[in-house]
Amino acid sequence: MLGELEQLVLLGVLRVGRNAYGVPVHDEIQRRAGRDLTLGTIYKTLTRLEDKGLVVSRIGEPTPERGGRRTRCYAVTPVGKRSLQASLRTLQRMSAGVDIGLEPT
Amino acid sequence: MTRLCIWLLSQFLPDHLSDPVIGDIVEQQARGTLWVCRETLVALVQLRGPSRGEAIMATFVNDVRLAVRYLRHAPAFAITSIVTLGLAIGATAAIFSVIDPVLLRPLPYADANRLVFVWERDRDGSRTNLGFATINDFASQSKSLETSAAVGSWEPSIGDVDPERVSGARVSATYFKTLGVQPVIGRDFLAEEDQPGHNQVVILSHQLWQRRFGGDRSIVGRSISIGGNPMTVVGVMPESFDDVVSPTAEIWRVLGYSTTQPFACRTCRHLRMLARVKPATTIAGAMTELDQLHAALVKQFPTQYASVGANLVRVQDEVTRSFRPALLALTGAVVLVLLIAVSNVVNLQLARAVRREEEFAIRTALGASRWRVTRQLLAEGLVLAACGGVAGLMVARIALPLLVSQLPSRLPRASAIHLSGAALAVVGTTVALLAIVMALVPGRARDAHLGERLRSGRRLAGGAQHFTRSTLVVIEVSVAVMLLISAGLLARSLVRLLRVDAGFDASHLLTLEVDAVGSRYADNASVYVFHDRIRDAVRVLPGVVGVTLTNQMPLGGNVDSYGVVDFDNPPSNPELAPYGDRYVVPPDFFSTMRIPVMRGRAFTTADVADSAHRVVLVSAALAERLWPGTDAIGRHIRLGGPDAPSRTVIGVVGNVKHAGLDATTTMQWYAPERQWGSSDSQVMLIVRTANDPASVAASVRRTIASIDATQPVIRVATMDQVIAQSTAQRRLALVLFAAFAGAALLLSIAGIYGVLAGSVAERTREIGLRSALGAAPREIVALVVRQGGALAFLGIVLGLGGAILLTRFLRTLLFGVAPNDPATLSASVAILGVITLAACAIPAIRAVRIDPSEALRH
Repeated sequence: MLGELEQLVLLGVLRVGRNAYGVPVHDEIQRRAGRDLTLGTIYKTLTRLEDKGLVVSRIGEPTPERGGRRTRCYAVTPVGKRSLQASLRTLQRMSAGVDIGLEPT
Repeated sequence: MTRLCIWLLSQFLPDHLSDPVIGDIVEQQARGTLWVCRETLVALVQLRGPSRGEAIMATFVNDVRLAVRYLRHAPAFAITSIVTLGLAIGATAAIFSVIDPVLLRPLPYADANRLVFVWERDRDGSRTNLGFATINDFASQSKSLETSAAVGSWEPSIGDVDPERVSGARVSATYFKTLGVQPVIGRDFLAEEDQPGHNQVVILSHQLWQRRFGGDRSIVGRSISIGGNPMTVVGVMPESFDDVVSPTAEIWRVLGYSTTQPFACRTCRHLRMLARVKPATTIAGAMTELDQLHAALVKQFPTQYASVGANLVRVQDEVTRSFRPALLALTGAVVLVLLIAVSNVVNLQLARAVRREEEFAIRTALGASRWRVTRQLLAEGLVLAACGGVAGLMVARIALPLLVSQLPSRLPRASAIHLSGAALAVVGTTVALLAIVMALVPGRARDAHLGERLRSGRRLAGGAQHFTRSTLVVIEVSVAVMLLISAGLLARSLVRLLRVDAGFDASHLLTLEVDAVGSRYADNASVYVFHDRIRDAVRVLPGVVGVTLTNQMPLGGNVDSYGVVDFDNPPSNPELAPYGDRYVVPPDFFSTMRIPVMRGRAFTTADVADSAHRVVLVSAALAERLWPGTDAIGRHIRLGGPDAPSRTVIGVVGNVKHAGLDATTTMQWYAPERQWGSSDSQVMLIVRTANDPASVAASVRRTIASIDATQPVIRVATMDQVIAQSTAQRRLALVLFAAFAGAALLLSIAGIYGVLAGSVAERTREIGLRSALGAAPREIVALVVRQGGALAFLGIVLGLGGAILLTRFLRTLLFGVAPNDPATLSASVAILGVITLAACAIPAIRAVRIDPSEALRH
């Protein structure tokens, strides 16, 4: 079972797609989940996920607006996807048939 | 602010996140400073994590492992560096271990800064001891002295069976109180013990208590036999107590004088005065007050003072005075050696860095940061320096006991010398600085042409590096010059000193001290008989050519002199009469010592037996001082106080060096033993032998024991050993300076050679081109020699300048040689010149051998 932050960040990376580094992941989570995570929190979570083998990272391109610094782009691994599936499915199973005021999906 | 945040992040984030996070923040910095700060703070807290310290450690261990691997691949470099550093660091640590307790630390007494010696100051600025009456007046009248004490020398023999002569001191009851120390067992002297008749009490040192009495606590309160008299032990000093006032003393007896005693007079100047100045008074203030007291005394007793004032010197300054210049010079020398060793190792490292240019260039090109490469160099420097430091500590552990055993026994605080504190600090600091220098110097040289490396192919070192290496070589040469000049001056001094005519024939002489103490020798006659029996018995021993006795001997270190007054024409103030060393000797003294009788005659046995007609011999210098230009024979003199009898001068003998080969000639007078009036309980037996004097020592000892086994026989030495002992400090300084100079020379040869060899290798094409264009081999050689010569010249000029500073400290160790002695200076410069040429030879030959076609093709 993944933690909430882990689920958020994994989903964020999946949603951004190809160029998933700190800023876009942050913006995606803010836009959709309404959570203003700090970059430090996001990178800490990503590092933990990478250690668990749920994401992989590669060095991206340096850009002038970054002062010539390279990005580190993350992608979800198949193991990561399966973990996310398992996590969300657990939630679904637990919430199915319980009236917690959510419209059915 | 943003900049600071970025810098913080770059310092504290792990490498793999540093660029991504900083980049993100920079990209979004439009969100405002507040946002940047918040992000930075959280990133630092979240991402730095507890693993950061471990990461640094891991990186460090990694760097060190890599450094060790590099150094193992360059064993010659590593071993040379470690040995060089080890010797230099070891020598430095050893010397610092000596100067730390001796010169730098305050004396081990409470408020040691307020402890002073008090002297009478003579017209010529020299100082004299005081008579008891003067000390008594100073102590009772002065308002600026808190406490004070009189100190006299004392060398008692302890025990009736197997007696042992020990060094001690006669002191006022206030002595230990003045120093601010107390016995650890028993009690201090009492004021009522400090008067005639009650002064049979002693305090023992911890060492003597352990050695002689087995650490028996019940010894306190018991009576022990000292010089045949019973004395009560009242206390034992703590083990840590170090008496710098009488550095060799192991037993203290209360003085117990009274001003009514004849030997407590104002002119009986055989005591020193120790005092503690009141906290509210300065030493200068106390000196002014004592000056006034002294002036009043002179007015009151005009014929009993020759001095013009009082003199106060801090005990701390006084006890180190004679050693300070030599120790400072040695410290300077050893620091110079360390400097030279460090520059040599840095030089080697630079030479290696040249060969590693490509390695570093490739690493940089592959993305290693400048910090990463510097860190690697730092790790290598640290490994080398640490190995050098460990080697240095081992060297110091071996060298320090050797050094201490060679130090003069009068050196104060010698017992406190051990390898610790200051020495370790020196080693640690040196190692750290060295590591940094070794990382930065090659690093700087590299920066000058970073990147150029790969493109330019085979070109070697550039200008910046050459400049650094040349500077180091110039430093090495200048240090070598300074040390060489110092060693040269010391060597010349010692040679001059040993050539000094001592006034007697010092070869084939055995000397030993014979005592006559105890009730058996209570009267003079029994002592005279004892001495005669010893002389008669030793004279017939095989291998003995002659034997004589004297109360003190030349170069023996004793100071026993009397004022000499022309009996028929006394000076108005007898204190202004010249002093002559007292020699109470049998008739055979002059023939045994081979001191020439220049006028008149020596004593005969008839003189010795005749107590009515007192006779005396004077040295040439004394005769000249008393009766300049006229004949001394037949004159009458008085030795000592106004009641002393008249003695007739019957002969003039040659001067002897009494106080030391390097001392100004003192004056002597000689009187027959039985005519002197009182017997000497401690005399020197001097034996002239046919062969090695040491070989008869055992039989002489046995002979004396067969006459009286209860008397101690000590200080058995050949006269050559006595002379060596009197020059020991100079010898030590010479040996150390010579060793340092030798090391410096070797290192500068290596330095010059290294720079020239590198330069020739680098200029292969240029030199090839020159020969191709028709340059003669002579010109090629000149090219190389000129470069080496320039380095050596600069070094020599700087070194001559430095030598002027260094040799100032050596002045007290020099004898008959000026610090700027032209012969020594030019010899040192010549040696350096020859050595420079030698160092140039191989690179020059290599340069000439360069094949133009070969050189130009590459």
